[in-house]
Amino acid sequence: MRKCLVTAALTADALTKDYRSPIKEPGLMGGLRGLFDRRYKDTRAVDAVSFSIQEGELVGFLGANGAGKTTTLKMLAGLLTPTSGTARALGHVPWRREAAFQRRLSLVMGQRTQLWWELPAYETFRLNKDIYGLSEQEFRASLDELVDMLDLGAHLSVPVKKLSLGERMRAELAAALLHRPSLLLLDEPTIGLDVIMQKKVREFVRGYNKRTGAAILLTSHNMTDVVELCRRVIVIERGRLLYDGALDALVARYADHKILRARFSGPFDAAGLAALGTVMSAEEGRAALQVPRERVAASAAALLRDFPVADLDVEEVDIDDIVRRLFGGA
Amino acid sequence: MKKYLTAYSIALQETLQRRWTLLMDRVGGFAVVLSLYSFWNVLLGDKATFLGYTRPEMLTYVLIINVLRSFVFTGRGWLLVGEISSGRVSSYLVRPLRYEGYALALDLAQKTVHVGSAFLEIGLLVLIVRGGVFVPRDPAAWALFALAAAMASLIFFFLEFAVSTLAFWTSESGGPLFCFELFLQFAAGAFFPLDVLPEGLRRLLSATPFPYMVYFPARVLLQKIPPQEAVRMLAGESAWLAAAAAVAAAAWNRGLLSYAAEGG
Repeated sequence: MRKCLVTAALTADALTKDYRSPIKEPGLMGGLRGLFDRRYKDTRAVDAVSFSIQEGELVGFLGANGAGKTTTLKMLAGLLTPTSGTARALGHVPWRREAAFQRRLSLVMGQRTQLWWELPAYETFRLNKDIYGLSEQEFRASLDELVDMLDLGAHLSVPVKKLSLGERMRAELAAALLHRPSLLLLDEPTIGLDVIMQKKVREFVRGYNKRTGAAILLTSHNMTDVVELCRRVIVIERGRLLYDGALDALVARYADHKILRARFSGPFDAAGLAALGTVMSAEEGRAALQVPRERVAASAAALLRDFPVADLDVEEVDIDDIVRRLFGGA
Repeated sequence: MKKYLTAYSIALQETLQRRWTLLMDRVGGFAVVLSLYSFWNVLLGDKATFLGYTRPEMLTYVLIINVLRSFVFTGRGWLLVGEISSGRVSSYLVRPLRYEGYALALDLAQKTVHVGSAFLEIGLLVLIVRGGVFVPRDPAAWALFALAAAMASLIFFFLEFAVSTLAFWTSESGGPLFCFELFLQFAAGAFFPLDVLPEGLRRLLSATPFPYMVYFPARVLLQKIPPQEAVRMLAGESAWLAAAAAVAAAAWNRGLLSYAAEGG
């Protein structure tokens, strides 16, 4: 009997990180006081977060600004040493920064660049070839593939400072993936990109995951990234793990209502709609109602019976709304 | 090793790419050397020697300062402070790379360009002042000078590196770095030979690594130090180099434990 072995690429166990930062009191007097009597505030950025990611998994890591996503990612990449707790990535303790681990890891931060600003991206690729110890053959094969998939051919000889944000982000991805990492940590990879470029980056990430079986942990405020790429999501808030499971189950758990959208064939009693659900909009022959799941059938029947309905749609709540509710309106 | 050579090559390309920055750097440095020469020229007046230096020796000292400023004092301290404070250093820390070696490769690239320019400026200065220059005939003096200057450059690199790592603990590490660089140039003899200082202060400085950075290599080339004494001092310099490297490594490793990877 064939047995399929799936091993954990990444495990975090009660990972905790505290920060200490100075408190600046307001005004000039506060500034002067701070010169002689500085006070500090301890903040727990990540609080006992535990999870595990298998090889080949592509997981979305969600949370509001300041929830602790990037701090967690930085610990898993070995940039930060946790205050307590532990983690193993590809069999290594990340913050020991062993070369064997780093050769199989890549961290891409949407707002950071590793590309040499004044020189064409190709020069950074050559440098990474030697940093990761790739042979000329491996480098060529990997570069050709990345250039093709990311449509970078025309931009290889242009100084990085002359590239558009989208071109630079694609070059950044190529630089980060030349060594074909087995663990990819992506922090806001589509930030600042237009919708076409976002789509290209998403398609590339999905393709890379399928082709190489790399484990990918992705943070993004762009819910389209998460919906299109991730079947599983991990949600943290104020440093604590809030949810870890299937995206569908998250929707089922938190979407306790549906949306009824009606188009009317004539004048209708807008005030009367309130009896059927929460009116989201009612104007120009159209209305949208938010209705609790258990009342959807009854409300839809009442709409059809008491109003001149020409067309009626029953929709699931948008994932964006769910996450917004989850983060308390963030 | 290959990765550091590639980093050196890329950094060399980028330094050459920023040609206006390079030109302005060199013009500034040349102005300092020209001022120093004029200053010493006035002090020498009609005297044959001053503080044991003949006119050609003093001109040569000033020229050596120009080379050593370019070779020893062109570090990456301010860049490192910026990279740590802004979190840009993260992109190096996640790659299989020793940051000290990488920074040294980049530093050497910058020095290569600056020393090349410094030699061109020396030719220009010799033409302008039309003065005699002291040129040692003994190849041993040149060899000892090269060795002393190479070690001086490394001592500066490691000390500046160590001071720059203060950025791991405070966002105000620019101040200590500025003071360190200013004091260093004074204490190294980059403004004037240390012979002009009072005996007590000179003794005090001789117990630090600073005179090894300009004053010692310059006096070696001017053959003001007997060969045996020079070799003994080179041993002292190499001890300072080992100490500076150890301090830099310890500061870096301690700093990494406190690294906050701020900025996104």
